[in-house]
Amino acid sequence: MSQSKSLEDPFGFELFKNALSAIADEMAVTIIRTTYSSVLKNNMDFSTALGDGNGRLIAQGLTLPLHLGSMPDAFLSVLRHFDGDIEPGDIFVLNDPFDGGTHLPDIFLLKPIFIGAKRIAFAAACCHHTDVGGRVAGSNASDSTEIYQEGLRIPPLKLYQRGVPNHTLFSLIETNVRVPSLVMGDLRAQISACEVAEQQFLTLVGRHGVALSGDYIERVLNNAEQLTRAALQELPDGVFSFEDWIDDDGVDYGKPIRLFVTLTKKGDHLKADWSGSSPQVKGAINNTLSFTKAATFCCIRSVLPPNIPNNDGVFRAIEVTAPEGSIANMVLPGACAARGLTGFRMVDCCFGALAQMVPDQVFAASDGGNTGISIGGYHDDRTPFIYVDFACGTWGGRPKADGMSGVSNVAANMASTSVEITEAEHPIEILAYELVPDRAGAGRYRGGVPYCREYRLLADEAVLQVRSDRRIFRPYGLQGGACGAPSSNILNPGPDETMMPAKFTVTLGKGDRLRHELAGPGGWGDPLLRDTASVLQDLRDELISIDTATKVYGVVIDVKNWLVLEEETVQLRRELGKERGWTTTPAVIQDSPNNISNSGRIG
Amino acid sequence: MTDYRVGIDIGGTFTDIVVLGEGGQLYTKKVSSTVGDYAGAIATGLEVLFNETALESDDIREVLHGTTVASNAILEKKGVRTGLITTKGFRDILEIRDLRVPQLYHIGWNKPTVLVPRYLRVVVDERVSITGDVSTPLSIEDAENAVERLVSEGVEAIAVCLLNSFSNPIHERQILEIIQHRAPHLLCSISSEVHPEIKEYERTSTTVVNAYIKPIVSRYLQSMREILEDRNVKGSLLLMQSSGGLTTVDEAIEKPVNIIESGPAAGVIGAQMLARHHGLGNIITLDMGGTTAKASIIEKGIVNRSKEFQVGGGVLSGSRLLTGAGYLLSVPAVDLAEVGAGGGSIITIDAAGSLCVGPESAGADPGPLCYGIGGSRATVTDSNIILGYLNPERLVGGELKLNRQAALTEFERSIAAPLGMSVEVAAYGAHRIAAANMIRAIRSVSSERGRDPRDYSLCAFGGNGPVFAATMAVDLGIAEIIIPPAPGLFSAFGLLYADVEHHYSATIKCRLDQVDASNVELAYSKLEDKARSQLQSDGFSLDLCKIERSAELHYQGQTHELSVDIPSGSIDSNALTQIADQFHFEHERTYGHRADIGEPVELVNVHVVGIGLADRPRTPKGKFETDRKVHISQGEREVFYGPSLGWLKSPILTRGDLYKSIQGPCIIEEYDSTCVVPPGSSVSLDVAGNIRLNI
Repeated sequence: MSQSKSLEDPFGFELFKNALSAIADEMAVTIIRTTYSSVLKNNMDFSTALGDGNGRLIAQGLTLPLHLGSMPDAFLSVLRHFDGDIEPGDIFVLNDPFDGGTHLPDIFLLKPIFIGAKRIAFAAACCHHTDVGGRVAGSNASDSTEIYQEGLRIPPLKLYQRGVPNHTLFSLIETNVRVPSLVMGDLRAQISACEVAEQQFLTLVGRHGVALSGDYIERVLNNAEQLTRAALQELPDGVFSFEDWIDDDGVDYGKPIRLFVTLTKKGDHLKADWSGSSPQVKGAINNTLSFTKAATFCCIRSVLPPNIPNNDGVFRAIEVTAPEGSIANMVLPGACAARGLTGFRMVDCCFGALAQMVPDQVFAASDGGNTGISIGGYHDDRTPFIYVDFACGTWGGRPKADGMSGVSNVAANMASTSVEITEAEHPIEILAYELVPDRAGAGRYRGGVPYCREYRLLADEAVLQVRSDRRIFRPYGLQGGACGAPSSNILNPGPDETMMPAKFTVTLGKGDRLRHELAGPGGWGDPLLRDTASVLQDLRDELISIDTATKVYGVVIDVKNWLVLEEETVQLRRELGKERGWTTTPAVIQDSPNNISNSGRIG
Repeated sequence: MTDYRVGIDIGGTFTDIVVLGEGGQLYTKKVSSTVGDYAGAIATGLEVLFNETALESDDIREVLHGTTVASNAILEKKGVRTGLITTKGFRDILEIRDLRVPQLYHIGWNKPTVLVPRYLRVVVDERVSITGDVSTPLSIEDAENAVERLVSEGVEAIAVCLLNSFSNPIHERQILEIIQHRAPHLLCSISSEVHPEIKEYERTSTTVVNAYIKPIVSRYLQSMREILEDRNVKGSLLLMQSSGGLTTVDEAIEKPVNIIESGPAAGVIGAQMLARHHGLGNIITLDMGGTTAKASIIEKGIVNRSKEFQVGGGVLSGSRLLTGAGYLLSVPAVDLAEVGAGGGSIITIDAAGSLCVGPESAGADPGPLCYGIGGSRATVTDSNIILGYLNPERLVGGELKLNRQAALTEFERSIAAPLGMSVEVAAYGAHRIAAANMIRAIRSVSSERGRDPRDYSLCAFGGNGPVFAATMAVDLGIAEIIIPPAPGLFSAFGLLYADVEHHYSATIKCRLDQVDASNVELAYSKLEDKARSQLQSDGFSLDLCKIERSAELHYQGQTHELSVDIPSGSIDSNALTQIADQFHFEHERTYGHRADIGEPVELVNVHVVGIGLADRPRTPKGKFETDRKVHISQGEREVFYGPSLGWLKSPILTRGDLYKSIQGPCIIEEYDSTCVVPPGSSVSLDVAGNIRLNI
């Protein structure tokens, strides 16, 4: 059988291509298995990749959608600083968002792979670390205003030189982070992943030969480019733009932040330009261009066929630009720790533009991405605790189906942490974790149903920080579908409750409670066209009230017998339609600074 | 009276029956499964068996059974109308799940239908704290109303899962009493009995699935009992569990959630027996059928188990990164990695001109092109026919005839011509790519957890396993392949080698360096008492009851646990230190590193397995005696071994021809499977009748 692996093997390429993605996946599995931190394990907030000798992305592990496309900049930075000085046994480290990184918690490790003296590849792993120092535990604060407040900034450096660890650098990192054992443990996981990749890549190249492997890599890239272009060719040509708004940056309260994208699709090429988006803001929600690219790719991938490999070839057909100094392409000293928020909202915005290009392939706005909730304080014995929860969980209504409830945002790939585990590990009791009725955007296909979480502090004192959005500017609806309900934060729900803003920090005392409700996603299609049986089912399931069934959907139901009264429904729907007075079905229903002033949601 | 044991494995397409006598006499039979009346196939099978052999019902000591009845009820959503009672504030745990989505960038994906719709999920006011204190007593009024509401909705089963009930089951038990009082006809499942461990979603999902299939499994097993009684078979009936251990009918009815993956588990248990019998420590198993291929690993003669798996999610690419496609079950199971690569996997060309195989499958209906029953797309079986690996005349002893020409014509048109290749080169490519897909499953049980496949032998079974074994072994660097007897119905065979097993667990979440050893000992002895009393009621004498302890631990802060075995003997502080050491060792072995000294290790769950040992050996001495009239050697045919070797004349042999070592190329044809022996490899039979193929 050995001859079949020789030069003439007509399927060597297919096997090589499969093996590449298997290696990147195996790197990812290595990280999941070896990591300590739940950010990596549950939120999959990491990614793995292989680059060729010149730093072109040739395979990426399937983990976090919002990381696709953020790897190439890291490769380029290392090459820019070290080309000519890259040796076997070296491992590079970086996290500087202004030099290859995306925000400080994401630490990249890159290991060059050699055969003899020839550099044939790079293995790379990027992980979100639990803490990298800075003014707030978790290094994730949204209210920092300069990168210098956000933690340890590492330019591209050699963490290992010719196999020898750089102890100076290791101890510098160890000293500057709050949870050194977690950070060091996760760095070890990254190193393991790179070593797994090196060993397997060398086996693969050993099997096919260096020269042929080089050819195959070119073909892998060309193949992805071809697939991408073939798929783009199928999409309609034109210029499609969309506007959406972030509530504020948590520093300049009440000042809306504009996101604006223009997609220009011509033939087999697509350009996404973020010109028109807000200038860089004070709060820590600015993006690097690489992260803006990742958010854009995430949306475009969703309307392309699933079998395209994740590599540089895809990026050749899709161009992403944003003006320097904007929120989509920040410059020094922009703060960016909580840039995830902007990433999620760019995904909403870019989907809005795609909805005009391919209306039958895109859903209405989801819940706006995850809400970050952190509660930090001290146990009775003065040992510290940090509880971090990321809540997200519903999709917008879709062209042929309701949005799903209880799923990760499409731009993330996260799992929730068990309520019981949370209670076992933190002085926190969770009082509710369930769907909230009447908050999904109505539509022929309604948005998914958002959930609430209610926490009670059992310790004497703790600091609560909440970073949420979609409080002012609700998730948009498409093709006549309505906006979803805004998110809400309620302190001590009940007679003495306090409505809190979307982003805030307060000190909690023992027994204090916070109830967070996610924003409801938008609906898709005219609610008056919703299948009456689905309205009846939603009412039975207590996902909508009888009021909503009647006034929003125009369905008259006999609740004693669970029957739709067809004639009355036709009549009511006709009246509601007339009252509404649409001449055409609105393609987008959304909030903007001009129409929200009376909505009472500000403040 | 001779002593015979019967293994019956019901799959979606075939029901496999294997009968083994004390002296090694072996009978095998495949009959078609009857969808909707699986027990019917067994009646037919036994009928045929009694006719074809001299066996009588008195000869049968035990009937060991693996069945897809439970998993089919889930896949086809044919469980019963089920209600769920849960804690106020947590009505949607079952629906929200863990949020995970199994496919990225795919907004068309749909969650599997929630097994209990929201209007049948009812909450009650109550609260037990994480430490087991009752902080809000159960509202009896709420509980009575909840039961009343579900009864009036006409549910057939009720699941109860309250928050933190693993730490104190009092409220779940109160609700159970109320149900039993109000509606004694309902079959109930309460989480503190089905799966008394921390993590509410895992516990809820497992309990709900248990409730959902309980009436179905119960009815099925009753009718199975009747069939055996009608035929005067007095031997005991035991069921295979996903864990690879057998259980009694009563226990299977009580916890049907344990028998869901019984067929696949049985095959691996068969391989485990081979490993032990032949002193082969380390084996990778490959079970390839019509739709999927499953891999697992056996180390030092012991199967690897996982503590949870998903059912009903379809088959994805083989990557374990993406979960959430099916229903989560937290029950002990043989650890299997599955990929969508089987005989029916469809071969396509993508937009960039690359050849792809699966995961879409033509299944048994419409089936591959060569079946000639409506299949219109090329499949893996078609490529194997084209390459000469399979004999069109002789599948399942000639009961299934295949049309090679139909395969050739369509393969040429839709695959070979667009690729600009000859039909055999294209077919060979599909064969290689299918093998590569299966290698991913093997990697996920081996190299992805720090095990080098080259240190293992490959045990290949299932109808298609032996066709691909050599190709895969070459790519994996594996030197030896074992093809057991009756590879095409090896799962039924494996049933004969399992022990009765009952698993029990409880959560004690605490740091090992802070826990009171006597509390840990107490927890274990409680579980052991349960295990012993169950085994005794199964009919095992005390000296045949074996107890194994294990613990699930992690470094504080980690969210996933590793399981380590706990030595017998009561637990003192010394033993706790040993457990920690063993955990460090296992962590390093699996993940390649351990934490620094002083990093706290946390105990999460204690686990006990009660094993009922057989009172006499299960493995007959010497080789199996088969009475099947296998066809005489068929001369030779042209077989394609890749573009460089081309077509080579290959002798067609039977297993019986391998009394001496034979050099490849050759093809070994059997009743239920075909083994491809490429040039450069050699093949022989070992003392127990296994084919040994050396690369």
